[in-house]
Amino acid sequence: MRMEDRIRDRIIKNAFLSIFIYGLPVVLMFLTFSITGQRPWEKKQKEKEKVRTEKTNSPSQND
Amino acid sequence: MHFIEEVFRNLSTWGLTALVLAIGIAETALGLYKNQWDKNEWTLNVVCFTVPRIIVRPLVTYFTLKFLPYALPGFKDTLDWIPFVWGALIIAIADDLTQYWYHRLHHEVPFLWRFHRTHHSAPYMGMAMASRQNIIYTMFFSQTYLTAALVYVGLGYPALFVKVIKSIITTLAHSSIAWDKPFYQNKWLHPIAWVLERTISTPATHHAHHADTTDDGVGNYKGNFGNMFFIWDVIFGTGVISRQYPKSYGIKFYKEEEWYAQFLWPILKSKKVGSELAVDGPMVGEDPENKLEIDGDSIKRPQSRSFELA
Repeated sequence: MRMEDRIRDRIIKNAFLSIFIYGLPVVLMFLTFSITGQRPWEKKQKEKEKVRTEKTNSPSQND
Repeated sequence: MHFIEEVFRNLSTWGLTALVLAIGIAETALGLYKNQWDKNEWTLNVVCFTVPRIIVRPLVTYFTLKFLPYALPGFKDTLDWIPFVWGALIIAIADDLTQYWYHRLHHEVPFLWRFHRTHHSAPYMGMAMASRQNIIYTMFFSQTYLTAALVYVGLGYPALFVKVIKSIITTLAHSSIAWDKPFYQNKWLHPIAWVLERTISTPATHHAHHADTTDDGVGNYKGNFGNMFFIWDVIFGTGVISRQYPKSYGIKFYKEEEWYAQFLWPILKSKKVGSELAVDGPMVGEDPENKLEIDGDSIKRPQSRSFELA
């Protein structure tokens, strides 16, 4: 038993279209960032550094 | 926001299971499964509901906590800067499109059909159908591992919301509650129905996928593969929208195979002669209605679910 050629061809064609759909939200997200000037990764990095600094500066509970 | 977050967290951990159980009990009490659930059906549906929750969840947890840090060291939470809305969109598309393909390939690739057959074998619809799957099919749910990887890289928060919404949509699409019916009956709701039935899986479109025929213009077991989103069927041309519910469900060549064979095939096989799940059974069964009777001789028409015999 084998798959119909028509079905196989449709799977291949739709698979290529799917790759585009998978990437679409990521492309749209960066497009929005470039239009609005947002850089959320930098904001997050600063937040992480702030938390790290606070942890380093706080006195040890074990002392 | 904190309240909504708590609602989703509770739904994710125990709420959805409780909801499915409650509706399932109500369906049983109201006689939906009357004369349709014999001992074999009961056992199969109960085993399919409980065992994956014991086996698959620990497997996914192991994958997330042990395998991913080993395979992708240094990637943990690297994408946690992605804003919630974009994260939710990325997760929803990645998860549901992957499941669409997993599902579609099990219908269109003859070798894979028997791993998915259990989900279609019941001649009825209801809450129990949502979890009625062969264990191999459940264990290799590709979207589960993809989503676990996206959670690992930092999209855990939006994933919580997407997973709960998806579970509600897919479970209700299988249930006997035709929540979409008012949208078709009231003319003023038709514009909403038009958008809704092209966007998400509704009982009408998903019940059509579980129909045992395509000849009535309602059933479409060769399509309507979408789980949360129906839009994949619209885009890829695999969908049929009729706003009606099929008269009968299941597969024409169902032989009421033993529950253990349906749940554990190919580890355990069926003893039913001619079954797709038997040792020497066909890869894809033949629809008895597709046999032509000519002068008393039976001529088999080579047509079955989504495939043709070579």
